[in-house]
Parts: sequence; structure tokens; C-alpha cells
Amino acid sequence: MSAVVSPVREPLVTGSKTYHQITEDICAPTERMPGFSFMLGMLFSLLMLGFGAFCMVWTIWKGIGSWDLNRTIGWGWDITNFVWWVGIGHAGTLISAILLLFRQKWRTGVNRAAEAMTIFAVMCAAVFPGIHMGRIWVSFFIFPYPNTRGPLWVNFNSPLLWDVFAISTYFTVSLLFWYTGLVPDLATVRDRASGMRKKIYSIASFGWTGAAKHWSRWESLSLILAGMATPLVLSVHTIVSFDFATSVIPGWHTTIFPPYFVAGAIFSGFAMVQTLMLIARKVLKLEDYITIAHIESMNKVILLTGTIVGVAYLTELFIAWYSGYVYEQFAFYNRAVGIYWWSYLAMMSCNVLSPQIFWFKKARRSVVITFIMSILVNIGMWFERFVIIATTLARDYLPSSWSYYSPTWVEVGDYIFTFGLFFTLFLIFTRVAPVVAIAEIKSILKSGGDQYVGFEAERKKKEALESGEYASQH
Amino acid sequence: MATDSHTNVLFGLYNDEEDLMRAIESANESGLDIMDVYTPFPVHGLDPIMGLKESRLHIAGFIYGALGTCTAFGVMTWVFTRNWPIIFGGKPYFSVPAFMPITFELTVLFACVGMVITFYTICGMGPGVTNPILDERITDDKFCLAFKTNGLPNGEIDNLKSFLSSTQAAEVHTKMI
Amino acid sequence: MASSSHTVAKTTDQINFTFTGGQKLLFGVLMLIGVICSALAFFNDPADEAINLHHSRFWTNFLHNSAFFGGLGFISLFLLCCKILAYSGWHTTFKRIWEAMMMFLPVSIVFFAILAIGNFAGFHHIYHWAAEGVTDPNNKEAYDSILAGKAPFLNPLMYLIFTVVIVLVWSAFAFILRARSKAEDKAKDGELSFFKKNKVLAAIFLPIGGFSSAAFIWLLLMSIDSHWYSTMYAWYVTASWLVSAVAFTILLLVYLKSKGYFPQVTKEHMHDLGKYLFGFSVFWTYLWFSQFMLIWYANVGEETVYFDLRIEEYPFLFYGNLVINFALPFIVLLANSTKRMTGTLVLVASLVFFGHWMDFFQMVKPGVYYENYKHLKHSHGHDGHHDEHHDTDTHLSDAHNHDAQAEGDDHSHAAVGGDHKGDNHDGHSKKAKSSRVGYAFPGFIEIGMMLGWLGLFLFVVFSGLARAQLVPTNDPYINESMHHHV
Repeated sequence: MSAVVSPVREPLVTGSKTYHQITEDICAPTERMPGFSFMLGMLFSLLMLGFGAFCMVWTIWKGIGSWDLNRTIGWGWDITNFVWWVGIGHAGTLISAILLLFRQKWRTGVNRAAEAMTIFAVMCAAVFPGIHMGRIWVSFFIFPYPNTRGPLWVNFNSPLLWDVFAISTYFTVSLLFWYTGLVPDLATVRDRASGMRKKIYSIASFGWTGAAKHWSRWESLSLILAGMATPLVLSVHTIVSFDFATSVIPGWHTTIFPPYFVAGAIFSGFAMVQTLMLIARKVLKLEDYITIAHIESMNKVILLTGTIVGVAYLTELFIAWYSGYVYEQFAFYNRAVGIYWWSYLAMMSCNVLSPQIFWFKKARRSVVITFIMSILVNIGMWFERFVIIATTLARDYLPSSWSYYSPTWVEVGDYIFTFGLFFTLFLIFTRVAPVVAIAEIKSILKSGGDQYVGFEAERKKKEALESGEYASQH
Repeated sequence: MATDSHTNVLFGLYNDEEDLMRAIESANESGLDIMDVYTPFPVHGLDPIMGLKESRLHIAGFIYGALGTCTAFGVMTWVFTRNWPIIFGGKPYFSVPAFMPITFELTVLFACVGMVITFYTICGMGPGVTNPILDERITDDKFCLAFKTNGLPNGEIDNLKSFLSSTQAAEVHTKMI
Repeated sequence: MASSSHTVAKTTDQINFTFTGGQKLLFGVLMLIGVICSALAFFNDPADEAINLHHSRFWTNFLHNSAFFGGLGFISLFLLCCKILAYSGWHTTFKRIWEAMMMFLPVSIVFFAILAIGNFAGFHHIYHWAAEGVTDPNNKEAYDSILAGKAPFLNPLMYLIFTVVIVLVWSAFAFILRARSKAEDKAKDGELSFFKKNKVLAAIFLPIGGFSSAAFIWLLLMSIDSHWYSTMYAWYVTASWLVSAVAFTILLLVYLKSKGYFPQVTKEHMHDLGKYLFGFSVFWTYLWFSQFMLIWYANVGEETVYFDLRIEEYPFLFYGNLVINFALPFIVLLANSTKRMTGTLVLVASLVFFGHWMDFFQMVKPGVYYENYKHLKHSHGHDGHHDEHHDTDTHLSDAHNHDAQAEGDDHSHAAVGGDHKGDNHDGHSKKAKSSRVGYAFPGFIEIGMMLGWLGLFLFVVFSGLARAQLVPTNDPYINESMHHHV
């Protein structure tokens, strides 16, 4: 084997797998009847989806008046949820694209599931601006097309329209990227299946044969798509941050928003990946592919991005004071100790303080702590968006219009709808497609398998060499 | 006997990509005409020894992207300076910084969609397309080296068979596709 | 395959670097040019008093180069720490270059100390906030309520802490990191304790460096435009350093390879560095655009003043910045093939390196002159109301025009917004300024002083390289790095 891998690198595939075992292990969930835990999860998701759908219909039927938004606070849970879901939808493309460009091989264990998660999260996100329009049946007005209303064009100068383009482009590109990666693995499932399943996977795998030229083009395509997806993923949350930062609202208009939103998105995205993968690796028995080393790497990313977000929070606070601009100063004073102080506290403690536990290796490698942390981070990131949106709006320039906002049950239900949608889609995904990228795992087996790399493998090799077996083997 | 629309294929299945690569190299040395190579995953270093040129997909991608840039920027400029000029928020009609986000997004969208469509087209793949498969274990753990045997005399076919066995092919099969 | 580092030692022809006399002479000459140009700038002011008050040409160049080259030292340390933590292996073979570059940090303390002492002693007038009486409400002429509000941060003591003391702390990290890395060379095969200890050190440094560099940048550079603020600024400056450091690395590697060193650094390594140059240039542009677009879009007077000044008075710098630092690397390095052509890479790297040096030029110069006018105005006893003195007072009129507070000298920031473009400029003084060498564009003195710093920087880097093995033969990643292919 020609790959040179430093022994200090931890193996990425454990259990001395062969190529065939990899196929067996990863295809298995798509081939066996789902177990009890899956059924329970599905039932729970469908219940959420059902209740949520009821609330969605209620919202559309009754109108936005069924929410507690008012003249002062025009954006509440809806846009908070939107930004939150979009943020979560960043991890997938980040893992597959940026980590691919930075040669982080550990991405192979989690990229497939993270990309799927991305797509579902963006779908959930798109729900909110949609229903927030009030008249969802004319939502196609947001697209620029020659029409009989003038022609009345959309406002290309509006960040909200940039959002339309950013989110739809991101969704399309992520879907293409994900599916193109999935095609060879669907072919693997196809070639193991029979009957009806074979027919379905045959259609889904686009006639993949595994020819060398196809692989060559496939790799080239993946690399270019990764190259394009990297600025794209940055641009999406950047544009979401423009929704706020282009305004002249103190607390929204700050130039650090673009990179800080992106860091926050990566932060929450990785937390959601952890939440899902910790369960998936257990239920689907993928511990050999999503190892503790993978979890530790992701925890490091969470620690890093959590700290970047912390730097941004403090920068904002500091510059608000430094600006000498009283409205700016008030906006941040109000955030920290105003009526919504508890959400600021939740944001700070969940996002900045709690990830600091990952300075300890024990914590980084503990499944339980990681799981709790992943939930905490997502709560914290939700509160971050709530703090930015509701707290800022509640105290505007005119004290007579100051207001308070809390959601109605319908708004909560709409949020639950997206959870139902997200988990239902994810659960279906785990049953119909390989959750781990089979071909990519195989391609890193010899540079990441525990029989090839790591101190243990080195030691064994040395022993074999000494006993003379090594020479005969190779 | 095979009709003209069919291809007779003789192929060997290898258990390891390194065996396969050695086999290709010795096939090259013996001047054998390889029909194709099939692998379960992209094997590093296969392209150069098979003489495959680097894909030109990126050139196509660049053209699609440039098309997207021009479309987005052109349409916005036309709408805001010619077709329906309106002042929004005190910005000039032709406000370049505000056009940048959409221009960027459409550049990426055009490039990616265009490249993906191109990829499937040139590979002869698509929803519902079924291409002949030599062995179902190729997408699992077998590495396949295939020769076309249409019109070859039996002696040469036997030569190819012995070549495959001599290069540690685990199995040798023939198939009509 | 084998992890033994002895194989590395054998395959590496040039394991130790010799700092030749010729190189020393060359850098000495560069430094001499720097000293002469500094003296010229200081003593023989070629331009008139208005733009060279209090030797401001010398001092702005001094700050400009200290910030730029000092930043290269910081970013090398930062980059190394990131690499250590991100399990990066490919760069290992030339990591000594970054270890040598970061040794400029302790040297740059001298420059920062001079600047810091200058704030106390008042021998330079770069920072408006450090001027006499700005925080004194009884001083009717000099008092500035905004600067008085910022005084807890913008004061000479804070400046001392966040430039000199913080750079001392960074230097300490750099020393320890380098010492351990060097000790690893002498350690026995497979010894991992240094590697592990450096990992911990890198993890500690990243947050410290991240937080403190922001304050460092705010004080050193952002406070030049002392009324202006932008939360993005620190990250933007860091990105500029990052691109320059990568460009410098490429140039140095190509030079050393031409001298026969680093035979193991292949096209693949250069390709990756080319990707970095491309990627970080795009990242820099992203930050540039985000900062500019948000300020342009919101059109808040307190913020637009920064770009207004630069677009109106420094159009070449402003647009040239984008052409050299974005368009050029983007277009040239987009294709894979160009990243693998040494000549092209060298050309782009040199232009981008110079481009980012120019970026710092446009960060430093406009603000200093602009604020200096105000200071001049105060010290000469003008009342400072804007727009009324254009014709009577050619040199000073700009000062009034560019007053950050469009509302006049009461500095009431509560008055938000307003487009500054209309009332800020009159034609003739603009033309007069924008053609001035040393003010709107670097002249031979600026280039000469830059060469001086470059000579010193290269001297430090080369002697750093000479004082350690050029190739870290015992680094656990060295074999990966030697067999790096895409």
C-alpha cells in the first residue's frame, strides 16, 4: 500500500473491515425490517407532523392573526425558526465541501447523513417565510418573471429577495451534490436487491456501472461541486444575515454579522449532526464507521465555532459601547438586561460557556456529554436568533410603541410541524439509502482502517515483520 | 453466436485494487486492448495508468457559470435601468453592490446544474436508465478488468484468459451484453 | 510506509540551511535603504506642512510597515496553531518557514513600543485620540465628546497593553512552540511528547490570539479613524495578513528551492499553497464585500465616512485594492493548471503581497491625514465649522470637509444618517490631494521604507531558518508530508 499515514492519526474505520463487510454493514439497514425503536421514532415524528400540519392549516386558514405578532414585533418565532433551520442546514455541505477541500478524511463517516440532514433542514426553513407571507397561494410572486402586473418586477435590491435566490440555489445544489454522491451507493444496494426493490433502485441509481471513466468524471464533478458549494454555503447564511444587517436597526446593523452568522450556522449544524448521528450509529450499528474519533473531531469543531461565536458576541458588545452611539449602546444593554434577559442568558450559557467543556478530552470522547451538549447548543442557537430578532424589535426608537411578544399555541405548533417533517424525512432516509457513503469509506479504508493505520497496526506490523510473516504476506 | 448489437466480454474479477492496477500495467505492456475497468470505488492512480485524460467538466462548468453571471447581472440591470426604473431606499438605479448577491447565486446555480446535467449526459446515465452489468459484486468488493472478444479467434481469447489468471484474477468469466 | 524518520533524513539532501554572506549583505542593503528613506521622510519633508505635519509621513509609514510585517509574524503563529489542531500533515515539511516567520514577533515589539511611547510622549500624531485635550471638557477647542467616551479604551496605557504586552505574550507562545519543535529534532525516534505538548499550547493560543488580536487591531489600526467603527474590521485585517503570509511563503519556498533546498517540496505542495492563495483571497474579498456592502446599504453617516473618504480621495487605492487582491488572483488562479506553474504563481504571489501591503496603506494613510487636519485645525485655533472656509484656507479646508460628524463640531452622534457625499467635497482640493505622492499613493520613500522592513523581516526569517533544521525530521507527520500527492 502506498498511502503514507502518520501513526498519530486515529483509525477512521474500526473492526478490521474488508470491502465486503463495509457493504454488508452499511446496506443492512435498508434491507432488514425496521425494529421497534425505529417504529417508535416514526410514530413520534408522525404525531408531531400531524399536530403540526393541523397548526399549519390553522395558520393558513385563519391568517397570520393567529400568531401573536404585533406592529412593533413583526418577526417572532417564524423568522427565528427560519434562521435556525437554515443554520442547521449548513453542516452537511460544510462537512462534504469544505472538509473535502481541507482533506479532512473523517468527513467520510458522516457526510452522507449530514447532507441529507441539510436538505431536510432547508425544507423546514423554507416553510416559515412561506407561511409568513400570509397568502401562501400567491407565493410565486417572489420569483421574477414577466407578468401582467406591470410588468411588476421583484425588488432585486432587497435582501429578502436575495434570500429567495440563496435558499433556492442552496437547496438545488445541495440536492444535486448529495444525490450525485448517492448514485454509486444506490447501485450497490441495487445489485444486492431483488424483485421490486431491484426495480426501484435501478431507476434511482441512474444506470451506474462503476466504469473507470465514470468514476474519474464523478470525482472531478464532486470536487468542482465542492469548490462551488464552499462559497455557496458561506453566502447563504451571509445573505440571511443581510436581512438584518442592511437595516438601520441598532443591534441588527453591524458589519460582523456575515461571518458571525456563518460560524453560528456551522456551530448549530454540527450540533444537530451530533444529535442525529449519536442515535443513528447506535440504532443502525454503525459504530465502526462513525467512531469516537469522528465524534471528537466534530466536538472540536463545535468548540472552535462556539468560541468564534463568543468572540463575535463580545465584539458586538464592545463595539456597541465603543461606537459612542447611544441607540446602539441601548440595544445591547437591552439585550443583556432588558425584558428578554433570560433569552440572552440562555444564549450566552448554551453557546459560549457550555461548549468550553470540550476543552477536556474525556468530555469530547463521551457519548453522553456530547449528546447533552448537542441539544444545549441547538437550544442556545435558537435563543441567539430569538435574541437578535424579538429583543431588538421589542424596544424600537419610539418608547410608546415598545411591546412584548410571546408565541401563541399555533406558532409553537408550526415549529413542531417542522420537527415532525425533519425527523420523518430523516427516518425514511435511514431506511431507503445508505447512511454512510459506502464508496468513500472503501476508498479511505487503506489509509483509515484500523488494520492499516494507527499505533496498534504499526505494532502488529512490526511483530509480523519480526516473526517473518510480514514478508510472505506482502 | 453473438449478433452485431451484442458485445462478448471476457472479464476477470480481482479482490484488491492493487492486483487490478498491476494487471492493467502488464496489459499495457503486452499491448492488450482493454475494454473497460469497473471498480466499487474511485481507485487512486487508476486514471494515469489507463491513459484517461483529466475530465474537462470544469471548463463546461466555467462556461455555465459565466452564463449565469451574465444572465443575473444583465437582467437586473435591464429591469432597473431600462424596463422599470424605481428608486429603492435611495439607491441608484444601477446599484452594483446590491446586485452582487443574486449574481453570485445564479452563477453557482447555473454552473452546478449545468455540470450535473452534462455529467449524466456524457456518462449515458439518468433516471430509469439501465446499463448492462457484468457482475453484481462490482459495486461491492470486486475489481473488474474487461476485454471485448467480438471477432477474436479462440486462440487469442485463451491468451486473454491465461493473462487474467496469471495476474491473480480471482475469477474469470465471459458474458454477452 | 514505515514511520521511521531515518528514511527521511536520508532522502533529504539539504537538512540544514546556511544563511550566506551574500544574503546578509543584500538584506543589510535593504535595511540601509529603509533607514535612509526613513531619515529622508523624517528630516527632509518634501511635501508641504499640511500633509506632513509632525513628520506624519514618516510616522504613518512606520505604523504601516510595523503593522503589516508584525502581522505576518502573528498570522504565521496562528496558522501553525490551526494546522496543529486540524491534524494537518502536508505542510510539515516546510513548517520551519512559518516557525521562522513568527520569530519576527519579538522584533516587532520594538516598533510597537516606539509607537506606544509616542502616545505618552506625543512625539507622533498618528492617533487623534492621543492628542492633547481631546478628553478634557474644559478644552473648548480640542475636546471631542465621542473620543472622550472612548477614552477608557482609546488611551496610551491600553495601547501599551494591547500592542506591546500582547505581542510579548504572543512572542512567548512563539518561542515555546519553536523550542519544542526544535527539541523534537533531537529527540529519539517516535518520541511524541513534544508533539503532544505543542498541541496543548496551540489549543491555548488560538482563543488568546483570537481575542487579543482583535483588540490589537482596533487600537493599532481602527483607532486611526478614531470616530469610525466596524465590527468586521479586525477579521478583515486578519484576512489581509493571512493572504500576505501565504503569498510570502510561496515566494520564499520558490526562492529556497531555486537554491537547492526543499527538494522534497513538490508541485503538489505548491499547488496546495496556490489553492490557499486563491481561497484566502476570495475569503478576504468576502469580508471586504460584506463590510463595504453593509455600510453602503445602510448609509449611516458615522460609518459611510470611512469609505466616502477612500472612494472620493483615494480612488486608485480603493478600486486598485479590489483589482490586485481579488480580480487578479481569482482570474489567474481559478484554473488548476496555473496553480502548478511556478512562474505564474510567483507573479501572482508577488503582486498580491504588494497588493495587501497597499491595503494596509489605504487603512493607515487616509485616516491619519484626515484626523491630523483636525488636529492642525485645533492647534491653529480655527473654529472648525465645516464648509465655510474652502476658498480662504486651501490646506485646511479638507479637514473641515471630512469632519466625521457631518453635523458639525458638537459631535452629536444621535443624529443618524444623511448622505455625506453631497456636502463633503469640493473639486479643486480633491484633485490636489489625490495626486500627492506619499499621501494618496506610495512614493519612493514609502517603497524604500517598506524595503527596509522587508530586509529586516527577511533577515529575521533567514536567521530563524539557519538556527534550526530546515526539515523537521522527527515530526510525526513528516512522512505524510514527504509523500504528499493529491
